[in-house]
Parts: sequence; C-alpha cells; structure tokens
Amino acid sequence: MSAVPKLADDGLSSIATQPGRGRLEVRNVSKSFEVGGAPIEVLRDVSLDVAAGEFVAALGPSGCGKSTLLRLIAGLERDYEGAITQDGDAITGTSLHRGIVFQEPRLFPWATVWQNVALGLKNSPISESAKRESIAAHIALVGLDGFAQAYPHQLSGGMAQRAAIARGLVNRPRLLLLDEPFGALDAITRVRLHVELQRIWAHEKITMILVTHDVDEAVFLGDRVVVLAPRPGRISRVFDISVPRPRERSDDDLVRIRNEVLRVLGDGEVASVDQAPAVRLAS
Amino acid sequence: MSDAALPGTLRARPALLSGLKGAVAGRLGAAIARQAASLGWLLVLPAIALPIWIIGTDRGWLPEQILPRPADVLHTLRDMIASGELAQHAGFSLLRVAYGFAIGASTGLAIGSAMGLSRRVDDYVRPLFTAIAQVPALAWIPLAMLLLGIGETLKIAVIAKAAFVPVVMNTSAGIANVPKAFVEVGETFRFTPLQMLRHVVLPGAVPPIFTGLRYGLTHAWIALVSVELLASSEGLGYLLVWGRQMFWLDTVLVAMIVIGVIGFVSDKALAVVEARLQRWRLDGR
Amino acid sequence: MAAESSTIGTVGRGLVLPVGLLAVWEIASHSGLVNRQFLPPLEHVATSAWREFASGELTYALVTSLRRDLLGFALGSGVGVLVGLLLGLSRVADRIVTTWFNGLKQIALLAWIPLISLWFGFDETAKVVFIALAAAIPVILNLVEGIHATPAKLIEVGEVFRFNPLQFVLYVYVPSAVPSVLTGLHLALIYAWLATIGAEYFMAAGPGIGGLIIAGRERFDMDLVMLGIVVVGSVGFAIDRGATWLERRLIPWQRAYRRPTRRPFG
Repeated sequence: MSAVPKLADDGLSSIATQPGRGRLEVRNVSKSFEVGGAPIEVLRDVSLDVAAGEFVAALGPSGCGKSTLLRLIAGLERDYEGAITQDGDAITGTSLHRGIVFQEPRLFPWATVWQNVALGLKNSPISESAKRESIAAHIALVGLDGFAQAYPHQLSGGMAQRAAIARGLVNRPRLLLLDEPFGALDAITRVRLHVELQRIWAHEKITMILVTHDVDEAVFLGDRVVVLAPRPGRISRVFDISVPRPRERSDDDLVRIRNEVLRVLGDGEVASVDQAPAVRLAS
Repeated sequence: MSDAALPGTLRARPALLSGLKGAVAGRLGAAIARQAASLGWLLVLPAIALPIWIIGTDRGWLPEQILPRPADVLHTLRDMIASGELAQHAGFSLLRVAYGFAIGASTGLAIGSAMGLSRRVDDYVRPLFTAIAQVPALAWIPLAMLLLGIGETLKIAVIAKAAFVPVVMNTSAGIANVPKAFVEVGETFRFTPLQMLRHVVLPGAVPPIFTGLRYGLTHAWIALVSVELLASSEGLGYLLVWGRQMFWLDTVLVAMIVIGVIGFVSDKALAVVEARLQRWRLDGR
Repeated sequence: MAAESSTIGTVGRGLVLPVGLLAVWEIASHSGLVNRQFLPPLEHVATSAWREFASGELTYALVTSLRRDLLGFALGSGVGVLVGLLLGLSRVADRIVTTWFNGLKQIALLAWIPLISLWFGFDETAKVVFIALAAAIPVILNLVEGIHATPAKLIEVGEVFRFNPLQFVLYVYVPSAVPSVLTGLHLALIYAWLATIGAEYFMAAGPGIGGLIIAGRERFDMDLVMLGIVVVGSVGFAIDRGATWLERRLIPWQRAYRRPTRRPFG
C-alpha cells in the first residue's frame, strides 16, 4: 500500500473537513410496504443521531429494515413518516453530499474503472482538471493504481467493490452510506477491505454509516454499533465502542464487546465464550 | 528471420535456439494442421455428393428438370455474371432491402425507444403493435397489393414492416430492461434525464438494440424474397419465379445460391460489428 | 387497490389506438372520402365474414390449412429430432454436415418454394414438404445447441458412474436438451404456420386460408382479404400462446419473461 496521496484543495474538500458537517438526524421514522394488498411494517419509530465524522454500524439480521433505512437516508425512497435531516437540511432526495456504496459494486460494465468513478463527478461544479485529479487520487486511495483502464469484468469482486467505494467518495460527500458492501466477498478479502475502509475513513474524516449483518465487521469498524431487531424494524440496543484506532481484531476489549453483541443478538441463546463477570462496556 | 537478428542471449545458446525454433514450427504446424483438418471435414460431403451428382446426370437417372448437370449450373452462373444480368437483378433486390430496412429500422428505433422509456407510451402502443406483429409480413402482402398496387412502394412497404417488428421489440425490451440498480446509481449522482439516457440507458441497451437490427435485416431479406416471388418483374425473387416457369432449374439454383451467399455475408458482417460493440460483455451472449 | 386501478388504466390506454383507428376507418368509409373498395365499412366486412363463416367455406379452408400445417409440422419435427440427435451426438456427423447446413439455412425459406414446386409439383405433397422443411430447421438448430450445451459437470457425474454411451444419451444428454427441444418445437409450430400460408400463396391450387386470401385479392374483394388476414393472425397468436402454455407446463422451472414495470422515465 503506497503512501496516501495528498488531495488537492478544492471547494468540496474544504467543506467536507469542516467540523460539524456531515451530521445526521433521524427522527421517528416509520415505513411500511404493501405486499399483496397487506401493509408490512418495515421500520417503526426509528430515531438516531449521528455526529459529524462518526462511524456508525447498523447491525441486524435480514428483514430488520436496515437497508431500507439506508435508502431513506440516501434519498432513494421518499415515502415515509418522520423526519431525516442532514446538517439541519431536510432530506428530500438524493444529493452529491451523500455518497452510497451498494452491496453489488454496480459498476457500469461498458465503462472502465476511471469512467465509472468519473460518473460521480458528472454534476459536480468543480473544474475539469480538478475532477481529473480527484478521480486519480481516489483510485489510488482505494489501492487500484494501474487498473484505471480496466473493465469491470476484468476485476475481482474485491477490486470491483473498491472501485465502487472510490466512486462513492469521489465527490467528497459529507456522508458515506454503505449497504452491506462486503457481503458478496470471500472472508479473506472482506477482512482486508475492513482495514482499507478504516484507513480511508481515518484519512477522509467523512461520516460513515455502514449496514451489515456481520458482527465482527460492525464491532471492528464502528464508533457505535446500532443493533436493529426485525419485524418491525426498530433499534433494540446501541453499543459504544471506544477502543482506540487502529484496532486489532484480537484486542481483548473488542472481543468482549463482540461477544456481548452476539449475546444480545441471540437473546441469550449464544453461549458466551468469555466467562468474565459483568462485562463493562467502555462508555 | 536470420540468426543475426536474434537477441544476444539466444545466439549464445544454440540448444535453446533450436528448441525455440522447434516450438515455433510446432505451434505453426499445429495451427496449419487444424485449419487443414476443418477444411478436410468440410470437403467430405461434396466429395461424396459431387460424383453421385455428375454420374447421375450423365446416366440420366432423373430428368433434367429435377437434376441439372453441375456443369450446366456453373455455365449459367458464369453467363449470368458475365452478362451483368446477375448483378442487375441482385442490385434491384439489394436496393429494395436497403430502402425498406432503413425506413423500417429507423421507425422501429424511434417507436421502440419511446415504448421502452415510458410505460405510458407502451400502454398505448403495445396492443396495436402486437396485433400487427402477429400477422407475418407474408400475410400482409395481398392486402398491401390491393392498397398499393404492385410497384416499388409495395415492396419497400412490406420490407419495412418486416424489419420494423423485431427492431421495436428488441429496442423497447433493451431500454426497459436496463437494470434498476444502475438507474439508482445515476440517481445518487443526480443525473438529469439526458444524462441518464446518455450514461445509463443507452450504453446498456446497445447490445439488444443491435440484436434487434440484425433480426430486422434477416426478416427484411426474407420479406424481400416473398414479395419478389409474388409480384415482381426484376430482382432475385423474380429470377426464381422465371426459372421455375421456364423449367430452368439451373437458373433457380443460381438464384438460390446468390440469395444464400448475400444472406450469409451480411449476417457475418453484422456479427463482427456486434462482437466489437460488446467487448465488455463477459457472458458470451 | 393500487394494482387493480393500474391494470384497468393499462387496458384502457391500450384500447385507445385500436378503437380510434376503427372509428377513423368507419367514418372515412362512410363519408365517401375514400374509395369504398379500398376501405369497406366495418359492417360490410362483418357481414361478409359472417357469410363466409355461415357458408362453411371459411371453416373448410381453415380446417384444410390446419391439417396441412399439422402434417408438415409432425413430419418436419420428427425428421428434425432425428437429424438433430445425429448432429448433436456424433462429432463426425457434426463436422461433415454443420457448415453446409448453416450455409443452406441462410437461403430464405421461401426461396425454396420454386425448387420444391419443380420437384413435387403444386399439390398437397409439395406443400407438406415445404412446411416440414420450415419446421425441421429450428428443431435441428435448437436440439444440436441443447446437446452441445450439456453442462460438463453433469457429464463428469456420468463418467464417475462409468456410464456407457447409451446411458449417457438416455440419462445425461437427452434430458438436459429437453428445454432446448421444446423451444425448437415452439418455433417450429410458429414457422410451420407461416410456411403453410406461404405454401398456399405460391402453390395456389386447392383450398386453404392462403388460397382464400389470394382469391380475394384477385377478385379485389377487400372483405375477404381482411378476413383472411385476421384469421391468419389469430391462429398464429393462438398457436404461440398455446405453445408457451405447454412449455410452461412441461418445464415449470423455467421463468417466463415478464414485462418490466419500471421504466427509466416512469
């Protein structure tokens, strides 16, 4: 991994690194879908505050509405009850200030990595040369140097997802949403990309919200882990993880928190490996 | 290739050099052998059929109207090429296909795109379109003859209709089937409708649209033959009818061969273009 | 509730153009703006159609055509299956024949009619032969492709169990080629019907729907021609739908194509 390149100063980057930017407020959000004529409650009265620059992991099994919540925040779905605001502005649709990385890379197969990342800047107000620099910098940031002219079908799953992350970041959004981005990758690649993402987050200082069903992933990456319960989707527990970064998976505190999260998820069905009394969660 | 042109390292190691030469010769030889083999297989059928044909016509096993002599067929072919007759008839046919296909395909692209882009338009147009599509170009010909006479308009109209149908179907499907996943990516970057069209919809729709154009051309060609068989005084279809009426089987065969060759060549040419356009498709479709 | 109203809306919108066209037709025909011979009033067409139907002529022509169609289809698909099996299973036969077959396939089907009529005349035999040819081609193409596309993984399973060639054919190749054969037969049904009409056009001796249309044209009887076209289109539609239904019943695990509901611009 080469040294992280210096990103040129342009209008966007200065906004993103301003303190207090990238704050998210979710207030009493509920959403139902109609399936076969009957309404299904996907989210019920979800409230959450995310501070600027924070890394929040939303954790839960399938059907707990976590992906739906992310799509509401992204502005891809607009039909819901409650209020979601970013930096005080109500979210009414998609925005270049909110980047999103989907579970599938969703790279356009007819475009190269460079062209795919460039898509994010189509509506950006910055100059052409600034765009080129940003694209090159972000491709390097995700470690895809030398693959800029490759087509998606020539990339491995992990590389494609990295390209998708570069595309999600190329606008320097204040908020990056990640919807189970590593779910389709093998375990080894996944672990590697966890470290990459942690590095990128530390460097870019962008607020990140990651949705996942992988407990290790959530605990390793997040400042907080928000556990969601399904049917209807609602927040059941929030864990603070103040283990300092860079984190090691084998770190004792991390392992303890992970086991506690697992226990909560399994409602006591998962036997705790660690027999230490009353786990104290770092506050 | 003289030895002097080789890099110094190879020149210094004669064993390595002769090994390499052997390998290259081996690879080349293998490639040549492969081509010769497939050519050989290709010739098995004519090698069996041709002698039977020649002997059969010499001995008069079947009347000349059923089986002409191969020499006769070749003679006719040569005469028709030399006199320019073949080129003339082929020219008429090709021109008709060109006009008809151009009209049918462009109209098809326009309407197909509209149907693909907007559910409303599709709702309005599809039932009528399906009804028209169900009736093959062949069946339309007598009706068209009543309305348009038997001139060029008739032929071009029938050919245009034949090309129109598959182009519309493939274009509308290609555009409508652009994955929603990609459209959402465009939404997150706040693409305007024009940007959506340019960067998301059209690139993904090009392969199916091109397939539609290929089918359109095939159907246009078939429609040409039908309409020339029924109502023409020049063209390859006319040659077929004329040869049939005069019991000149060799003429009929020549016309069939030319029709087949043109069909083959145009289809192969389009296949090459299709392959170039779809470099990025890995699934080999 | 939302789904119901959208279906009604869809159907309603779909009727606008056809109903509108028919209305324009009626008005144009009655107003005398258009030559009545070109565009007879709708009631005229309807009464002519009823007359044909009542006199039994229409039914007779239709039955004759369908009989031919079925005969040609059965003959063509039977031969097609045999040839397809041969070309699919035997590498030797495939190498010898396939390129020539592909070349001959390029000759537009209807271009074969003059040749066939030279060999078989204009009667029933010639028509059935032509229809059989039209049916055989898609069956052969699809069956060969189906056999060639047998997944290597399944062949390996057969090798593990030491199948002999007959067992391979019966338990591996043929079953895995069934969907392709059904597709081929579906196409053969469609092409056979087209070939029936084509044969009746060009070898116009004898009864049949195609003959009816040609007769109508020669007499400048627009009613008859239109009636014939509607029948041809309807039968073609019914055959296609029937074949799709049958295919779905026989291979329930194949997902049928569904019209996408969301478009880029809504």
